[in-house]
Amino acid sequence: MGEAASMLPAAQGDRAPAPAVDAEGLVKTYRSRAGTVEAVRGVDLRVESGEIFGFLGPNGAGKSTTVRMLTTLLSISAGTARVAGLDVAREPDAVRRRIGVALQEAGLDGRQTGRELLVLQGRLFDLSAHDASSRAEELLELVELTDAADRRIKSYSGGMKRRLDLASALVHEPEVLFLDEPTTGLDPASRVTVWDEVRRINERGTTVFLTTQYLEEADQLCDRLAIIDGGRIVREGTPPQLKTELRERLGLARDATLDDVFLDATGRARTHVAGEVQEVKA
Amino acid sequence: MTQAWVLARRALREGIRTPEAIVPTLFIPLFFLVVNVGQAARIFPGSSTAFLHGQGYGAFQLPSSMLLAASFGSAALFLVEEIEGGYFDKLRATPVHRSSIVIGRLVAEGVKALLIASVIVLLGLAFGIRIASGVPGFVLLILLTAGWAIVYAGFMQVIALKTRSAAATNSAGLVFFPLLFLTPNFVPRNLLTRPMEIAATFNPVTYVMEALRSLILQDARWETIGLGYLVVAVAAAIMLAVSVRVIRNYD
Repeated sequence: MGEAASMLPAAQGDRAPAPAVDAEGLVKTYRSRAGTVEAVRGVDLRVESGEIFGFLGPNGAGKSTTVRMLTTLLSISAGTARVAGLDVAREPDAVRRRIGVALQEAGLDGRQTGRELLVLQGRLFDLSAHDASSRAEELLELVELTDAADRRIKSYSGGMKRRLDLASALVHEPEVLFLDEPTTGLDPASRVTVWDEVRRINERGTTVFLTTQYLEEADQLCDRLAIIDGGRIVREGTPPQLKTELRERLGLARDATLDDVFLDATGRARTHVAGEVQEVKA
Repeated sequence: MTQAWVLARRALREGIRTPEAIVPTLFIPLFFLVVNVGQAARIFPGSSTAFLHGQGYGAFQLPSSMLLAASFGSAALFLVEEIEGGYFDKLRATPVHRSSIVIGRLVAEGVKALLIASVIVLLGLAFGIRIASGVPGFVLLILLTAGWAIVYAGFMQVIALKTRSAAATNSAGLVFFPLLFLTPNFVPRNLLTRPMEIAATFNPVTYVMEALRSLILQDARWETIGLGYLVVAVAAAIMLAVSVRVIRNYD
């Protein structure tokens, strides 16, 4: 983790359940015409069962690549990852049975109806036709899409697609749910609806691994979070821990925000241009 | 196989809901049939051309149109769309067997080809073409065409998975034209010039075309028909193996 300010809870002894996600030295390299690109450079992550874990980082930091490795969609160049107690590289099918995945840009088949998509998803997780149909009905109610269930997905709004994508990731009641930027591009009302869904899902016992670019989202939802930059984890801890650490380290007179933590961790800074904002006096 | 069938049904629904992708598959081969017959029918009159076995030139040309229709499948382009839209990753994140993802689309493509080939043959019958091998021959004709559709869709799926590009997949589909024209497309193989005859002998499409043609023009000639089916079976096995390998290594 390098200089990352690790604030993981102390080891909880032998009785602690297996972590939902446990990655060590995760590396992803790509070969391109320009040479070898290291998208992820030795990521260590531990997400406890039952947590909502936030994974933050600027564009191109390695968030999605890490998630794609953890969800079996990308091969791992080096390092190990265990999800729901199973080795991702050695037992990918067993991992797939225990995880739910909703990736960036809701990956849905616009020519199917919402109901058809959920039933199909259930069938791919070996539910019988009857069980897949019942489960689809339950999920449509959960994400409040019953009225639109028999409409083609291409006619859905962005928010409806996200909710359906979320529902499709829950068909088989996964232990760990991976959400890759689930609210990107949504209006504020739809975003809050997705947050409510995420909380509800977590209250039912599902561990949530959430990547986001929205710091407010991470602050609202996450028990713990990690910030990745340049393919490396640069901060990890609970939001209050990270804010306190920054305030004390920089000797700030005010409380730090998660924005401050993010900017400090990623080496970016707010730029104030003189005269950009003018004070108006009555 | 349940998962493959579930995915095949989805692909069939997709086809039914996208009629604009099916219409050209039917229209363009019929257009070529009309044009080719219009250009050459007087050169090869049925009454005095031995290789037509008493039928018109349309009966000789029908297999070309059927193979053309079978090679116009849209499975690979739908697959690229799915890759670009993210649904392909959604499927890959399920424990579905990788081969089921490939087979599902190929089965759907085979079913679509059965229907399209049936329509083309029925239209041919309406215009006086006869199937010399009778109803069993009709069934064999349709099945062999569907088999070729599966082979070609398999090839296109491999291109789609490797390139992930609609433009590249579309361009690769054009390879069928040299394959189709390096065959005894207009005359039997023994009437081709020597270089063309050699090229046609090495072209697997030749044997499929000759099998189809023998079913239309002559009574069952099992050696020719068997060779056509063997070519399709071997090519289908190769395409399936390559497709599954490519999807397993997809990163």
